[in-house]
Amino acid sequence: MAELKVLFKDIDVPGIQTLEVYEQHGGYSALRKALGMTRQQVIDEVKASGLRGRGGAGFPAWIKWNGIPKDESQPHYVQCNADEGEPGTFKDRELMMRHPHQLIEGIIIAGYATLSKMGYIYIRGEYTEPARVMRRAIDEAYRAGYLGKNILGSGVDFDLYIHMGAGSYECGEESAMMSSIMGERGQPRLKFPHAPLPTIAGLWNCPTLINNVETLSCVPAIIRNGGAWYASMGTEKSTGTKIFSVSGHVNKPGNYEVEMGTPLMELLELAGGVKGKLKAVIPGGSSVPILPAEKCDVNLDYESLQAAGTMLGSGGFMVLNDTVCIVRFMRRTAAFYAHESCGKCTPCREGTRWMVKIFDRILAGGGRMEDIDLLLDICDQIDGRSYCALGDAAAWPIRASIKHYRHEYEFFIKHGHSMVEAQRYSAAV
Amino acid sequence: MSERIQLGEYPRVRRIDEKHPPELRFSQKAVEELERIKQHYPTKRAAMLPALWIAQREYGGYLPPEALMEVAYRLGTSYAVVQGVATFYTMYNKRPVGRVMLEVCTNLTCSICGGYEILRYLEQKLGIKVGETTPDGQFTLMEVECLNDCGNAPVMQVGNRYFGNLTPEKIDALIEQLKQSDEHTVVQLADTIVQCHLSESERQDIERALEKAQSAREAEQDGRDG
Repeated sequence: MAELKVLFKDIDVPGIQTLEVYEQHGGYSALRKALGMTRQQVIDEVKASGLRGRGGAGFPAWIKWNGIPKDESQPHYVQCNADEGEPGTFKDRELMMRHPHQLIEGIIIAGYATLSKMGYIYIRGEYTEPARVMRRAIDEAYRAGYLGKNILGSGVDFDLYIHMGAGSYECGEESAMMSSIMGERGQPRLKFPHAPLPTIAGLWNCPTLINNVETLSCVPAIIRNGGAWYASMGTEKSTGTKIFSVSGHVNKPGNYEVEMGTPLMELLELAGGVKGKLKAVIPGGSSVPILPAEKCDVNLDYESLQAAGTMLGSGGFMVLNDTVCIVRFMRRTAAFYAHESCGKCTPCREGTRWMVKIFDRILAGGGRMEDIDLLLDICDQIDGRSYCALGDAAAWPIRASIKHYRHEYEFFIKHGHSMVEAQRYSAAV
Repeated sequence: MSERIQLGEYPRVRRIDEKHPPELRFSQKAVEELERIKQHYPTKRAAMLPALWIAQREYGGYLPPEALMEVAYRLGTSYAVVQGVATFYTMYNKRPVGRVMLEVCTNLTCSICGGYEILRYLEQKLGIKVGETTPDGQFTLMEVECLNDCGNAPVMQVGNRYFGNLTPEKIDALIEQLKQSDEHTVVQLADTIVQCHLSESERQDIERALEKAQSAREAEQDGRDG
């Protein structure tokens, strides 16, 4: 199986970032078509496509779209999540830098379907290069009448604003992102069922549709070709295509768009094969459990990966070869979550710091055997006990690494140095 | 984790309002920009992040307490609220930094692809530790979390650009280039971000407003001279 390009179909066309070339390749025809349909028909088309949120959770997109109230008693908002922060992921960066109009078209259609007059793209502060491309594209779309008042004479208004972040992983979480847009510290809010969903009470307590860049970029193709066409790709429950950002020990790192359900090993081949001997794969960004090489015989879709004990996540596909010391790698993971924990919930704020301290003790050669169970205990104390999923995400990779690589932890604690580095040393002698 | 939040010196002003304005240092351009950005949101408070970016540019690359005070005044909120927001986000500099910031990613992919080696090399080359600024005030070296360009690991952010697939040779050339150019500075990064918020028509509006103010000033000057 080779790549199957839906989002990346025209990405190699020179000048696709400009409105002129995008229109030559069928750009904004989906918007024209959508404006000729009723709002419910647009939502039904997304429902028929089976599109699931590409930001990490895999929540069916149409449920969010359909959950927005159908009356205009309050203003509605569209919030595009372009705060790509999940370590290992760089698909949104490429989608924005190389295909900005596809995303803008998707956002306008989402705005039409959900009766919104305003949309925000929340781009992380570090992404100034994609933000400048988006800025140029939005200005072009305004000039051509695809944005602003009375879009293409249909009587529909939609304004799109860029909101830049300022350096916070946490702001990629939808409720923290709402806080950040409203000018607050990027901390999460109480979730459903303890509080209404953002589709009822989101930005400024108004109905808000929050979707990832990749999800919204799928929309023009779905409207143009129909939901059934999109659903014909992939597996029954995971339809369509998915972009995987392959990085780490592979020969050709980069973004690869493949059909859902593609075998994992084929994606590795697409990326030019592994440098050295494959040790493990992290298939969905740093937050998902690690998958050891022996278990890599799985298909890449939401259900298969879940059955294999990991998750599809955001598609940040990190490949590790046998030179990587799992203990050291997991210490870096734990340090990341400790740095990025927003500090709102005690289990996450304190637990992540304690984990780093225990890892540091092990790495310094002063580890104790009971430290492994202590780490597992802290994972249990964090998992499910915080407002947002950052806490869970801090616990899952550590727990999975102990499950699969307990012997490496034990070796490190017993000998005071890494098992992998010792192997490399003996090989050199 | 390693970074302790530095609260800075709390300014000895009880309240900030129309009757007690702080010292204001925003240029007219900045004021015009902030006015336009405020229109993007239903509340003034929501313009906080862009306002802090403007302040970071106007105050030369970092946010001293006076800058937070000015933002609080212009958004009609308290110093504490602004300080709370500014200290949450890592890209707002709470302390003075060098002219150019070198931010090396050492997160997962970069850590296994040589990010730490690049960081050590830069430390050695510049003669400073992570978090420090060179004595000539040119460079500040920072270690950052994932920049999400893992396909080009190891990656470094310099102002408004990423540099990937780094090697010691590339870094040598880059440092020489950065010393001589005005590109990718801390101030320029803040300006790029501010400009991304503003649409084409807003940018033209601002230009017109500034021209008008300029010609009004000139007319006044002529009147005085004549």
